[in-house]
Amino acid sequence: MMAYSEDDIALAAEYALGTLDADERTQVESMISLDKAFAAIVEAWEHKLGILNQMVGSIEPPPELWDKIKTAVGHAEPQAPLLLPDAPPPPPVAAEVVETTAAAADTANVIRLSAQARRWRRVATFTTAIAAALVAMIAVGVYQPDLLPDGIRPKSRVQVVEVKTPAGPAPSAQYVAVLQKEGGSPAFILTVDAATRNFTVRKVDAAAEPGKSFELWLISDKLPRPRSLGVIGGADFTARPVLSSYDTDIVNTATYAVTVEQAGGSPDGNPHSAPVFAGKLIEAVPPR
Amino acid sequence: MLTPAELVWLIAAVAKGDEAAFERLYAATRAKLFGVVLRILRRQDLAEEVIQEAYVKIWNSAGKFNPGLSSPITWMVSIARNRAIDVVRKRTEVSIEEEPAAMEVAADTPDPLARREMTEELKRLLECVGRLEPDRQKLVLLAYYNGWSREQLAAKFETPVNTVKTWLRRSMLDIRECLGL
Repeated sequence: MMAYSEDDIALAAEYALGTLDADERTQVESMISLDKAFAAIVEAWEHKLGILNQMVGSIEPPPELWDKIKTAVGHAEPQAPLLLPDAPPPPPVAAEVVETTAAAADTANVIRLSAQARRWRRVATFTTAIAAALVAMIAVGVYQPDLLPDGIRPKSRVQVVEVKTPAGPAPSAQYVAVLQKEGGSPAFILTVDAATRNFTVRKVDAAAEPGKSFELWLISDKLPRPRSLGVIGGADFTARPVLSSYDTDIVNTATYAVTVEQAGGSPDGNPHSAPVFAGKLIEAVPPR
Repeated sequence: MLTPAELVWLIAAVAKGDEAAFERLYAATRAKLFGVVLRILRRQDLAEEVIQEAYVKIWNSAGKFNPGLSSPITWMVSIARNRAIDVVRKRTEVSIEEEPAAMEVAADTPDPLARREMTEELKRLLECVGRLEPDRQKLVLLAYYNGWSREQLAAKFETPVNTVKTWLRRSMLDIRECLGL
Protein backbone atom coordinates (compact mmCIF):
# COMPACT_ATOMS: atom_id res chain seq x y z
CA MET A 1 0.00 0.00 0.00
CA MET A 2 1.09 3.44 -0.86
CA ALA A 3 2.20 5.66 2.00
CA TYR A 4 0.31 8.87 2.40
CA SER A 5 1.89 12.10 3.49
CA GLU A 6 0.56 14.19 6.33
CA ASP A 7 -0.67 16.59 3.65
CA ASP A 8 -2.82 13.89 2.09
CA ILE A 9 -4.15 12.83 5.45
CA ALA A 10 -4.91 16.40 6.50
CA LEU A 11 -6.63 16.96 3.16
CA ALA A 12 -8.81 13.90 3.69
CA ALA A 13 -9.59 15.07 7.21
CA GLU A 14 -10.50 18.58 6.11
CA TYR A 15 -12.71 17.15 3.41
CA ALA A 16 -14.58 15.16 6.04
CA LEU A 17 -14.69 18.17 8.35
CA GLY A 18 -16.04 20.27 5.49
CA THR A 19 -13.62 23.20 5.52
CA LEU A 20 -12.22 22.85 2.00
CA ASP A 21 -13.37 25.25 -0.70
CA ALA A 22 -15.36 24.12 -3.73
CA ASP A 23 -12.29 23.51 -5.95
CA GLU A 24 -10.46 21.53 -3.30
CA ARG A 25 -13.58 19.46 -2.68
CA THR A 26 -13.81 18.63 -6.36
CA GLN A 27 -10.15 17.68 -6.30
CA VAL A 28 -10.62 15.39 -3.32
CA GLU A 29 -13.68 13.83 -4.90
CA SER A 30 -11.69 12.90 -7.98
CA MET A 31 -8.92 11.48 -5.79
CA ILE A 32 -11.57 9.41 -4.02
CA SER A 33 -12.82 7.94 -7.27
CA LEU A 34 -9.32 7.18 -8.53
CA ASP A 35 -7.62 5.91 -5.41
CA LYS A 36 -9.34 3.34 -3.25
CA ALA A 37 -6.84 3.61 -0.42
CA PHE A 38 -7.28 7.36 -0.26
CA ALA A 39 -11.05 6.87 -0.35
CA ALA A 40 -10.71 4.62 2.69
CA ILE A 41 -8.82 7.34 4.56
CA VAL A 42 -11.57 9.83 3.80
CA GLU A 43 -14.19 7.34 4.87
CA ALA A 44 -12.40 6.68 8.13
CA TRP A 45 -12.37 10.41 8.86
CA GLU A 46 -16.02 10.72 7.91
CA HIS A 47 -16.81 8.06 10.41
CA LYS A 48 -14.59 9.44 13.17
CA LEU A 49 -15.92 12.97 12.86
CA GLY A 50 -19.39 11.88 11.82
CA ILE A 51 -20.16 10.52 15.27
CA LEU A 52 -20.44 14.17 16.32
CA ASN A 53 -23.88 13.96 14.73
CA GLN A 54 -25.01 12.30 17.93
CA MET A 55 -25.11 15.76 19.47
CA VAL A 56 -27.19 17.39 16.77
CA GLY A 57 -30.88 17.67 17.47
CA SER A 58 -33.40 16.08 15.15
CA ILE A 59 -35.79 18.24 13.15
CA GLU A 60 -38.74 16.79 11.28
CA PRO A 61 -38.76 17.63 7.58
CA PRO A 62 -42.14 18.45 6.02
CA PRO A 63 -44.24 15.35 5.25
CA GLU A 64 -44.46 16.07 1.52
CA LEU A 65 -40.70 15.60 1.17
CA TRP A 66 -41.18 11.84 1.20
CA ASP A 67 -43.37 12.01 -1.91
CA LYS A 68 -40.66 13.92 -3.74
CA ILE A 69 -38.05 11.36 -2.72
CA LYS A 70 -40.28 8.49 -3.82
CA THR A 71 -40.80 10.17 -7.16
CA ALA A 72 -37.11 10.82 -7.52
CA VAL A 73 -36.14 7.20 -6.94
CA GLY A 74 -38.77 6.15 -9.43
CA HIS A 75 -41.40 4.27 -7.56
CA ALA A 76 -44.06 6.91 -7.28
CA GLU A 77 -47.05 4.84 -8.30
CA PRO A 78 -50.09 5.95 -6.33
CA GLN A 79 -50.99 3.38 -3.75
CA ALA A 80 -54.00 1.30 -4.73
CA PRO A 81 -56.85 1.97 -2.31
CA LEU A 82 -57.27 -1.19 -0.30
CA LEU A 83 -61.02 -1.03 0.12
CA LEU A 84 -61.84 -0.37 -3.50
CA PRO A 85 -59.70 -2.70 -5.53
CA ASP A 86 -61.60 -1.97 -8.74
CA ALA A 87 -61.62 1.76 -8.41
CA PRO A 88 -59.56 3.71 -10.89
CA PRO A 89 -56.41 5.21 -9.50
CA PRO A 90 -57.03 8.56 -7.85
CA PRO A 91 -56.12 11.66 -9.84
CA PRO A 92 -52.56 12.42 -8.93
CA VAL A 93 -52.85 16.07 -7.95
CA ALA A 94 -56.42 16.35 -6.66
CA ALA A 95 -56.68 18.58 -3.63
CA GLU A 96 -58.49 15.88 -1.71
CA VAL A 97 -55.67 13.49 -2.19
CA VAL A 98 -53.24 16.04 -0.88
CA GLU A 99 -55.38 16.57 2.17
CA THR A 100 -55.73 12.90 2.79
CA THR A 101 -52.02 12.49 2.58
CA ALA A 102 -51.51 15.29 5.03
CA ALA A 103 -54.02 13.78 7.41
CA ALA A 104 -52.39 10.41 7.13
CA ALA A 105 -49.07 11.99 7.85
CA ASP A 106 -50.48 13.66 10.93
CA THR A 107 -51.78 10.37 12.18
CA ALA A 108 -48.44 8.85 11.54
CA ASN A 109 -46.86 11.58 13.58
CA VAL A 110 -49.12 10.89 16.50
CA ILE A 111 -48.28 7.24 16.44
CA ARG A 112 -44.64 7.96 16.13
CA LEU A 113 -44.73 10.40 18.97
CA SER A 114 -46.60 7.96 21.15
CA ALA A 115 -43.92 5.44 20.56
CA GLN A 116 -41.31 7.94 21.44
CA ALA A 117 -43.17 9.63 24.20
CA ARG A 118 -40.04 9.88 26.22
CA ARG A 119 -39.02 12.58 23.89
CA TRP A 120 -42.06 14.69 24.55
CA ARG A 121 -40.16 17.18 26.56
CA ARG A 122 -37.90 17.82 23.64
CA VAL A 123 -40.88 18.35 21.44
CA ALA A 124 -42.31 20.74 23.97
CA THR A 125 -39.28 22.95 23.82
CA PHE A 126 -39.07 22.74 20.08
CA THR A 127 -39.16 26.30 18.84
CA THR A 128 -39.08 27.42 15.28
CA ALA A 129 -39.25 30.55 13.28
CA ILE A 130 -42.41 29.31 11.74
CA ALA A 131 -43.36 28.88 15.34
CA ALA A 132 -46.53 30.89 15.18
CA ALA A 133 -47.93 28.50 12.65
CA LEU A 134 -46.48 25.37 14.02
CA VAL A 135 -48.63 23.14 16.10
CA ALA A 136 -46.72 20.53 17.94
CA MET A 137 -48.53 17.46 18.99
CA ILE A 138 -47.43 15.88 22.13
CA ALA A 139 -48.53 12.52 23.21
CA VAL A 140 -48.83 12.46 26.93
CA GLY A 141 -49.63 9.69 29.27
CA VAL A 142 -47.39 7.01 27.98
CA TYR A 143 -44.34 8.53 29.48
CA GLN A 144 -42.96 5.49 31.15
CA PRO A 145 -45.38 2.66 30.55
CA ASP A 146 -42.51 0.25 30.26
CA LEU A 147 -42.11 0.43 33.98
CA LEU A 148 -45.54 -1.03 34.57
CA PRO A 149 -46.37 -4.73 34.45
CA ASP A 150 -48.42 -5.75 31.43
CA GLY A 151 -51.68 -6.04 33.32
CA ILE A 152 -51.91 -2.45 34.41
CA ARG A 153 -49.96 -0.85 31.65
CA PRO A 154 -52.20 1.84 30.19
CA LYS A 155 -53.44 0.82 26.78
CA SER A 156 -52.67 3.65 24.37
CA ARG A 157 -53.86 6.23 26.83
CA VAL A 158 -52.79 8.87 24.43
CA GLN A 159 -53.82 12.41 24.89
CA VAL A 160 -53.05 14.75 22.10
CA VAL A 161 -52.23 18.20 23.32
CA GLU A 162 -51.84 21.05 20.94
CA VAL A 163 -49.15 23.45 21.91
CA LYS A 164 -48.73 26.66 20.03
CA THR A 165 -45.03 26.98 20.34
CA PRO A 166 -44.03 30.52 21.13
CA ALA A 167 -41.30 32.28 19.23
CA GLY A 168 -38.74 31.00 21.61
CA PRO A 169 -35.31 32.19 22.61
CA ALA A 170 -32.45 31.89 20.18
CA PRO A 171 -30.95 28.44 20.01
CA SER A 172 -28.26 28.18 22.58
CA ALA A 173 -24.93 26.52 22.80
CA GLN A 174 -24.41 23.28 24.63
CA TYR A 175 -21.34 22.88 26.71
CA VAL A 176 -19.88 19.64 27.78
CA ALA A 177 -17.27 18.70 30.33
CA VAL A 178 -15.76 15.28 30.55
CA LEU A 179 -14.90 14.67 34.19
CA GLN A 180 -12.07 12.24 34.47
CA LYS A 181 -9.00 11.31 36.41
CA GLU A 182 -5.72 12.49 35.03
CA GLY A 183 -5.32 10.45 31.88
CA GLY A 184 -8.16 8.18 32.87
CA SER A 185 -11.34 7.33 31.11
CA PRO A 186 -14.36 9.61 31.55
CA ALA A 187 -16.29 9.02 34.75
CA PHE A 188 -18.98 11.66 34.37
CA ILE A 189 -20.16 13.77 31.49
CA LEU A 190 -21.52 17.15 32.41
CA THR A 191 -23.69 18.98 29.91
CA VAL A 192 -24.72 22.60 30.35
CA ASP A 193 -27.23 24.46 28.25
CA ALA A 194 -25.83 27.97 27.81
CA ALA A 195 -29.20 29.70 27.77
CA THR A 196 -30.96 28.03 30.65
CA ARG A 197 -27.80 26.99 32.43
CA ASN A 198 -29.46 23.77 33.34
CA PHE A 199 -27.01 21.00 33.70
CA THR A 200 -27.12 17.28 33.45
CA VAL A 201 -24.57 14.87 34.79
CA ARG A 202 -24.37 11.49 33.26
CA LYS A 203 -22.62 8.79 35.16
CA VAL A 204 -20.43 6.91 32.73
CA ASP A 205 -18.13 4.79 34.74
CA ALA A 206 -18.06 5.48 38.45
CA ALA A 207 -19.63 3.92 41.50
CA ALA A 208 -19.54 5.46 44.95
CA GLU A 209 -18.41 3.24 47.81
CA PRO A 210 -21.19 2.16 50.13
CA GLY A 211 -21.99 4.94 52.59
CA LYS A 212 -20.39 7.58 50.41
CA SER A 213 -21.76 9.99 47.86
CA PHE A 214 -20.26 11.75 44.89
CA GLU A 215 -20.65 15.51 45.10
CA LEU A 216 -20.15 17.94 42.23
CA TRP A 217 -18.35 21.23 42.78
CA LEU A 218 -17.78 24.36 40.80
CA ILE A 219 -14.29 25.78 41.25
CA SER A 220 -13.60 29.24 39.90
CA ASP A 221 -10.82 31.71 40.52
CA LYS A 222 -13.58 34.30 40.68
CA LEU A 223 -15.08 32.68 43.75
CA PRO A 224 -13.42 32.41 47.16
CA ARG A 225 -14.11 28.72 47.59
CA PRO A 226 -15.62 25.75 45.77
CA ARG A 227 -19.39 25.86 45.48
CA SER A 228 -21.39 22.68 45.75
CA LEU A 229 -23.64 21.83 42.84
CA GLY A 230 -25.12 19.01 44.82
CA VAL A 231 -24.80 15.31 45.23
CA ILE A 232 -24.77 13.22 42.09
CA GLY A 233 -27.61 10.80 42.55
CA GLY A 234 -27.45 7.07 42.23
CA ALA A 235 -29.30 7.15 38.93
CA ASP A 236 -27.58 7.41 35.59
CA PHE A 237 -28.64 11.00 35.20
CA THR A 238 -28.81 13.92 37.56
CA ALA A 239 -30.21 17.18 36.27
CA ARG A 240 -30.36 20.48 38.12
CA PRO A 241 -30.88 24.15 37.39
CA VAL A 242 -28.52 25.43 40.12
CA LEU A 243 -25.99 26.93 37.75
CA SER A 244 -28.47 29.64 36.82
CA SER A 245 -27.36 31.61 39.87
CA TYR A 246 -23.83 31.94 38.52
CA ASP A 247 -22.49 34.34 35.88
CA THR A 248 -22.06 32.89 32.42
CA ASP A 249 -18.40 33.74 32.59
CA ILE A 250 -17.92 31.75 35.78
CA VAL A 251 -19.91 28.82 34.43
CA ASN A 252 -17.87 28.72 31.22
CA THR A 253 -14.43 29.02 32.75
CA ALA A 254 -14.87 27.04 35.95
CA THR A 255 -13.40 23.68 36.70
CA TYR A 256 -15.97 21.07 37.60
CA ALA A 257 -14.82 18.55 40.13
CA VAL A 258 -16.25 15.55 41.87
CA THR A 259 -15.33 14.63 45.42
CA VAL A 260 -16.23 11.72 47.63
CA GLU A 261 -18.32 12.84 50.57
CA GLN A 262 -20.27 11.15 53.32
CA ALA A 263 -23.61 9.74 52.24
CA GLY A 264 -25.94 12.57 51.30
CA GLY A 265 -23.16 15.03 50.66
CA SER A 266 -20.92 17.42 52.49
CA PRO A 267 -22.57 18.56 55.73
CA ASP A 268 -20.87 21.96 55.85
CA GLY A 269 -20.70 23.10 52.25
CA ASN A 270 -16.99 22.36 51.90
CA PRO A 271 -15.39 19.52 50.00
CA HIS A 272 -13.76 16.84 52.16
CA SER A 273 -11.65 15.04 49.61
CA ALA A 274 -9.38 16.01 46.78
CA PRO A 275 -11.20 16.07 43.47
CA VAL A 276 -11.50 12.52 42.24
CA PHE A 277 -12.61 13.56 38.79
CA ALA A 278 -12.41 16.97 37.19
CA GLY A 279 -12.88 18.71 33.89
CA LYS A 280 -13.68 22.00 32.17
CA LEU A 281 -16.46 22.85 29.79
CA ILE A 282 -15.92 22.87 26.08
CA GLU A 283 -18.45 24.21 23.64
CA ALA A 284 -19.92 21.15 22.06
CA VAL A 285 -22.81 22.39 19.99
CA PRO A 286 -22.16 26.03 19.20
CA PRO A 287 -24.97 28.55 18.82
CA ARG A 288 -25.89 29.51 15.33
CA MET B 1 -35.72 4.87 17.20
CA LEU B 2 -34.40 1.76 15.57
CA THR B 3 -31.22 0.17 16.77
CA PRO B 4 -28.10 0.30 14.60
CA ALA B 5 -28.55 -3.39 13.87
CA GLU B 6 -32.07 -2.80 12.61
CA LEU B 7 -30.83 0.04 10.44
CA VAL B 8 -28.13 -2.19 8.95
CA TRP B 9 -30.80 -4.72 8.12
CA LEU B 10 -32.95 -2.04 6.50
CA ILE B 11 -30.06 -0.75 4.39
CA ALA B 12 -29.34 -4.30 3.24
CA ALA B 13 -32.99 -4.62 2.19
CA VAL B 14 -32.86 -1.25 0.44
CA ALA B 15 -29.82 -2.44 -1.49
CA LYS B 16 -32.06 -5.17 -2.90
CA GLY B 17 -34.63 -2.61 -3.96
CA ASP B 18 -37.06 -3.11 -1.08
CA GLU B 19 -39.24 -0.01 -1.17
CA ALA B 20 -41.00 -0.69 2.13
CA ALA B 21 -37.62 -0.95 3.83
CA PHE B 22 -36.61 2.33 2.23
CA GLU B 23 -39.69 4.01 3.65
CA ARG B 24 -38.93 2.66 7.11
CA LEU B 25 -35.33 3.74 6.80
CA TYR B 26 -36.48 7.21 5.83
CA ALA B 27 -38.93 7.39 8.72
CA ALA B 28 -36.25 6.36 11.19
CA THR B 29 -33.54 8.72 9.99
CA ARG B 30 -35.09 11.74 8.25
CA ALA B 31 -35.25 13.98 11.32
CA LYS B 32 -31.60 13.42 12.19
CA LEU B 33 -30.42 14.09 8.64
CA PHE B 34 -32.67 17.11 8.30
CA GLY B 35 -31.39 18.51 11.60
CA VAL B 36 -27.79 18.16 10.43
CA VAL B 37 -28.26 19.79 7.02
CA LEU B 38 -30.62 22.54 8.19
CA ARG B 39 -28.02 23.60 10.68
CA ILE B 40 -25.48 23.98 7.88
CA LEU B 41 -27.71 25.42 5.16
CA ARG B 42 -29.95 27.52 7.38
CA ARG B 43 -32.60 27.52 4.73
CA GLN B 44 -35.55 25.20 4.72
CA ASP B 45 -35.83 25.03 0.91
CA LEU B 46 -32.17 24.19 0.38
CA ALA B 47 -32.23 21.68 3.21
CA GLU B 48 -35.19 19.90 1.64
CA GLU B 49 -33.43 19.71 -1.73
CA VAL B 50 -30.30 18.32 -0.13
CA ILE B 51 -32.26 15.73 1.85
CA GLN B 52 -34.01 14.62 -1.30
CA GLU B 53 -30.70 14.20 -3.14
CA ALA B 54 -29.18 12.46 -0.16
CA TYR B 55 -31.92 9.83 0.05
CA VAL B 56 -31.74 9.23 -3.69
CA LYS B 57 -28.04 8.61 -3.23
CA ILE B 58 -28.73 6.35 -0.24
CA TRP B 59 -31.23 4.39 -2.36
CA ASN B 60 -28.71 4.04 -5.18
CA SER B 61 -25.65 3.24 -3.11
CA ALA B 62 -27.09 1.20 -0.24
CA GLY B 63 -25.16 -1.78 -1.60
CA LYS B 64 -21.91 0.03 -0.93
CA PHE B 65 -22.59 0.53 2.75
CA ASN B 66 -20.06 -1.39 4.80
CA PRO B 67 -21.27 -2.01 8.35
CA GLY B 68 -17.74 -2.95 9.32
CA LEU B 69 -16.50 0.57 8.61
CA SER B 70 -19.25 2.82 9.74
CA SER B 71 -22.52 2.92 11.60
CA PRO B 72 -25.63 3.25 9.44
CA ILE B 73 -26.62 6.65 10.75
CA THR B 74 -23.11 8.06 10.45
CA TRP B 75 -22.88 6.80 6.89
CA MET B 76 -26.20 8.39 6.00
CA VAL B 77 -25.37 11.63 7.79
CA SER B 78 -22.05 11.80 5.89
CA ILE B 79 -23.86 11.53 2.56
CA ALA B 80 -26.31 14.29 3.46
CA ARG B 81 -23.71 16.49 5.08
CA ASN B 82 -21.28 16.23 2.17
CA ARG B 83 -24.03 17.30 -0.17
CA ALA B 84 -24.94 20.21 2.13
CA ILE B 85 -21.30 21.35 2.28
CA ASP B 86 -21.03 21.17 -1.51
CA VAL B 87 -24.10 23.36 -1.84
CA VAL B 88 -23.01 25.86 0.77
CA ARG B 89 -19.47 26.12 -0.66
CA LYS B 90 -20.77 26.83 -4.13
CA ARG B 91 -23.22 29.40 -2.86
CA THR B 92 -20.63 31.08 -0.69
CA GLU B 93 -18.72 32.02 -3.78
CA VAL B 94 -21.67 34.01 -5.03
CA SER B 95 -22.83 35.71 -1.90
CA ILE B 96 -22.24 34.96 1.69
CA GLU B 97 -24.14 37.57 3.64
CA GLU B 98 -27.11 38.43 1.47
CA GLU B 99 -29.52 35.75 2.35
CA PRO B 100 -32.76 37.60 2.83
CA ALA B 101 -34.60 34.34 2.68
CA ALA B 102 -32.34 32.91 5.32
CA MET B 103 -34.97 32.03 7.79
CA GLU B 104 -34.24 31.59 11.37
CA VAL B 105 -33.88 27.91 11.18
CA ALA B 106 -36.09 25.83 13.32
CA ALA B 107 -34.37 25.69 16.62
CA ASP B 108 -33.32 22.18 17.14
CA THR B 109 -33.16 20.99 20.64
CA PRO B 110 -29.72 19.52 20.77
CA ASP B 111 -29.94 15.96 21.88
CA PRO B 112 -28.73 16.14 25.41
CA LEU B 113 -25.34 14.60 25.48
CA ALA B 114 -26.30 12.69 28.48
CA ARG B 115 -28.48 10.43 26.43
CA ARG B 116 -27.84 6.77 26.34
CA GLU B 117 -26.95 6.77 22.69
CA MET B 118 -23.76 8.59 23.48
CA THR B 119 -21.29 6.02 22.40
CA GLU B 120 -17.81 5.14 23.53
CA GLU B 121 -16.56 6.47 20.23
CA LEU B 122 -18.09 9.88 20.83
CA LYS B 123 -16.61 9.98 24.29
CA ARG B 124 -13.18 9.22 22.90
CA LEU B 125 -13.48 11.83 20.18
CA LEU B 126 -14.61 14.45 22.68
CA GLU B 127 -11.67 13.59 24.89
CA CYS B 128 -9.33 14.17 21.95
CA VAL B 129 -11.06 17.38 20.89
CA GLY B 130 -10.87 18.45 24.52
CA ARG B 131 -7.09 18.16 24.43
CA LEU B 132 -6.81 20.83 21.74
CA GLU B 133 -6.36 24.45 22.77
CA PRO B 134 -9.76 26.03 23.54
CA ASP B 135 -9.83 28.13 20.34
CA ARG B 136 -9.06 25.11 18.23
CA GLN B 137 -11.71 23.01 19.92
CA LYS B 138 -14.19 25.68 18.96
CA LEU B 139 -12.78 25.88 15.46
CA VAL B 140 -13.22 22.18 14.82
CA LEU B 141 -16.70 22.04 16.29
CA LEU B 142 -17.94 25.13 14.47
CA ALA B 143 -16.58 23.67 11.25
CA TYR B 144 -18.33 20.37 11.81
CA TYR B 145 -21.67 21.57 13.13
CA ASN B 146 -22.15 24.74 11.14
CA GLY B 147 -20.29 23.71 8.02
CA TRP B 148 -18.25 26.90 8.06
CA SER B 149 -15.54 27.55 5.52
CA ARG B 150 -12.03 28.67 6.43
CA GLU B 151 -13.01 32.22 5.50
CA GLN B 152 -15.97 32.18 7.84
CA LEU B 153 -13.84 30.69 10.59
CA ALA B 154 -11.16 33.34 9.97
CA ALA B 155 -13.77 36.06 10.35
CA LYS B 156 -15.11 34.50 13.51
CA PHE B 157 -11.67 34.17 15.08
CA GLU B 158 -10.44 37.49 13.66
CA THR B 159 -7.39 35.85 12.26
CA PRO B 160 -5.93 35.44 8.74
CA VAL B 161 -7.24 32.59 6.62
CA ASN B 162 -3.78 31.08 6.44
CA THR B 163 -3.62 30.86 10.20
CA VAL B 164 -6.97 29.07 10.24
CA LYS B 165 -5.61 26.73 7.62
CA THR B 166 -2.61 25.92 9.79
CA TRP B 167 -4.76 25.48 12.88
CA LEU B 168 -7.17 23.15 11.12
CA ARG B 169 -4.40 21.02 9.71
CA ARG B 170 -2.62 20.79 13.06
CA SER B 171 -5.86 20.09 14.92
CA MET B 172 -6.82 17.27 12.60
CA LEU B 173 -3.40 15.68 12.86
CA ASP B 174 -3.49 16.03 16.66
CA ILE B 175 -6.90 14.39 16.77
CA ARG B 176 -5.61 11.62 14.54
CA GLU B 177 -2.71 10.96 16.83
CA CYS B 178 -4.91 11.07 19.92
CA LEU B 179 -7.38 8.62 18.39
CA GLY B 180 -4.57 6.40 17.20
CA LEU B 181 -5.94 6.58 13.68
